[in-house]
Amino acid sequence: MMTIRAFEQALAARPNHGFQLLSAGEEAVAVGLCSALRPGDQLLTGGRSIGPALARGVEPRLLMAELLGKAAGVNRGKAGRGHLADPESGFFGAHAVVAGNISVAAGVALATKLSGRPDIVCILFGDGAAGAGALHETLNIAALWRLPLLFVCDNNQFSVSTPRRAALAPRKLSDLAAPFQIPGRTVDGMDVNVVAQAIELAASGVRAGEGPAFVECESERFAAHSSTARETRSREELKHTRARCPILRLIAELQATGRLDDTSLRALELEVEAEIAGAVAFAEAAPFPDPREALADVD
Amino acid sequence: MSTEMPRMFFREAIARAIAEAMRADPRVLVLGQDVGAFGGAYREFDGLYAEFGAERVRDTPVAEAATMGVGVGAAAAGWRPVVSITYMDFVMLALDPLVNYGAKLRYKTAGRLTAPVVVKTTAGARGQGVAHSQCLESWLMSVPGLKVVAPSNPADAYGLMRSALRANGPVVFVDHKRLYPIPGDGPAPDTEVPIGKGRIARHGADLTLTTHSFMVHTSLQAAVILAEEGISVEVIDLRSLAPLDVDLIQASVSRTGALLTVEEGQVTCGVGAEVAARLRERGAAFAGARMGAIAAPVSSNPVLEAVAIPNAERVARAVRLLLRTRDSGHVDAGGGELSAL
Repeated sequence: MMTIRAFEQALAARPNHGFQLLSAGEEAVAVGLCSALRPGDQLLTGGRSIGPALARGVEPRLLMAELLGKAAGVNRGKAGRGHLADPESGFFGAHAVVAGNISVAAGVALATKLSGRPDIVCILFGDGAAGAGALHETLNIAALWRLPLLFVCDNNQFSVSTPRRAALAPRKLSDLAAPFQIPGRTVDGMDVNVVAQAIELAASGVRAGEGPAFVECESERFAAHSSTARETRSREELKHTRARCPILRLIAELQATGRLDDTSLRALELEVEAEIAGAVAFAEAAPFPDPREALADVD
Repeated sequence: MSTEMPRMFFREAIARAIAEAMRADPRVLVLGQDVGAFGGAYREFDGLYAEFGAERVRDTPVAEAATMGVGVGAAAAGWRPVVSITYMDFVMLALDPLVNYGAKLRYKTAGRLTAPVVVKTTAGARGQGVAHSQCLESWLMSVPGLKVVAPSNPADAYGLMRSALRANGPVVFVDHKRLYPIPGDGPAPDTEVPIGKGRIARHGADLTLTTHSFMVHTSLQAAVILAEEGISVEVIDLRSLAPLDVDLIQASVSRTGALLTVEEGQVTCGVGAEVAARLRERGAAFAGARMGAIAAPVSSNPVLEAVAIPNAERVARAVRLLLRTRDSGHVDAGGGELSAL
């Protein structure tokens, strides 16, 4: 979680960092989720992909290079945040069309099932995607075909500026799974241990061949929708929201139970700082792709 | 084509090409509405379910968007799905996964993933109304990473389906309701028709007519009518719309000096517009005209449907008008085909 926060801060602090969707406040969802995935599993996400990609094990320096459009990036700088893919790391890819990756993930899950592999596929999407038809269509197909597909909704409470309550009728977003007899649960997405346990439990059913499962993680978006979008919340509201930081919460919990002392915390911070500095230096030094690459891998 | 080849129907050619591919490659799948025991809306998947079972020949709910998403996703994960979208009008519902994901996947991942899906869909008017009759293939021609083929006969359907099932990325295979009842020469076994190659369907000297799919038959009828009047029309069956075989068309137009493009879809931003523009860019000099559906929806009403789309008589009239205009140097101020209705 600290790596994700520091990585995104370093990215956002850099001039010309491009159009980014950051995930401060939502780190516990990415990390809790990925802690329950195994090496053969595949994760697909929407466009808010940086945290989940790091949590899944995409190398920070290759990710930073990708986000800065450098040829050393995981996709030679062509994908960016919205479309990066590193299937060898179990990160099958982001897709920046809201809800666009949900049915694609069902296809990956179908391929996994037909191959007879014991792995599962996880699709991570935001609350915005919960209003799209693609989710309904895919829940139906996944249930019908008992696909090894885990639906995880990172409900950060906003679609750009529109509050979740103004956009989505269901009381809980996990209720959307109920008509398809898919087990659904809503959990506190600000507590990494709660997320990890919920995903582990849901994933165990999927692994056992019981078909899909659905977990909604209620989180908070600490920043505006994107690095170029206007913030619509008041200072007071943001202060209140940011006080719920999942990183500080875990640190406090570990310290209170004597599992983390100040020295170890400081060492952890320095380690993260060094890794991110290394990633930024690597990405800064890497070349941009040759303009002729615009025509590579098209057909 | 050899007369020794057995005759077959369009649907048989499609089923044969897919069945052979499924036997050779266990990763070939069929997904779509009514593709299973029903055998497809036109029985073009007949026999596949019996031979390969419900795992590989999968009926889907009425959910074109998710079906296409499942198709491109399974393709990205190493399988080779044929996604059947019953009517081309419904491809609209599935454009997001096809265009935003499938067509761009190889590019955006710098070659790490690709989505070799074959989208088989049926275009064309046959009494089914404004939302079940459209020929939208020109919409898809401008999408980088997408290939579009539209055969006119069983042999080419077989050969192009084989090629599509071996392609590196997504291919849209467009057939036509009125092609299903027309038998043709069967293909020689294992012949592939390369994507990107057209075919001269009839040799001629006075005018080049480019067309595809069912309109090849309409255009060939027009050529017969015109031959009786001493007008010799060369009919090119484009077969592949993206990429286009511009070399073949250019060679023909350089001989005839006149081009009529014929399609069943709209002429605005249509296949013919693209053909003409490509030739002009190469510096070809020719008298040209386009023919397609009138600028109106295609009704299920038989009178209104018939008036909306080209027929042989109208194609013949457009050829005469084009050649007369060229030879007299006089541009018809009436606006050609519409005013002639």
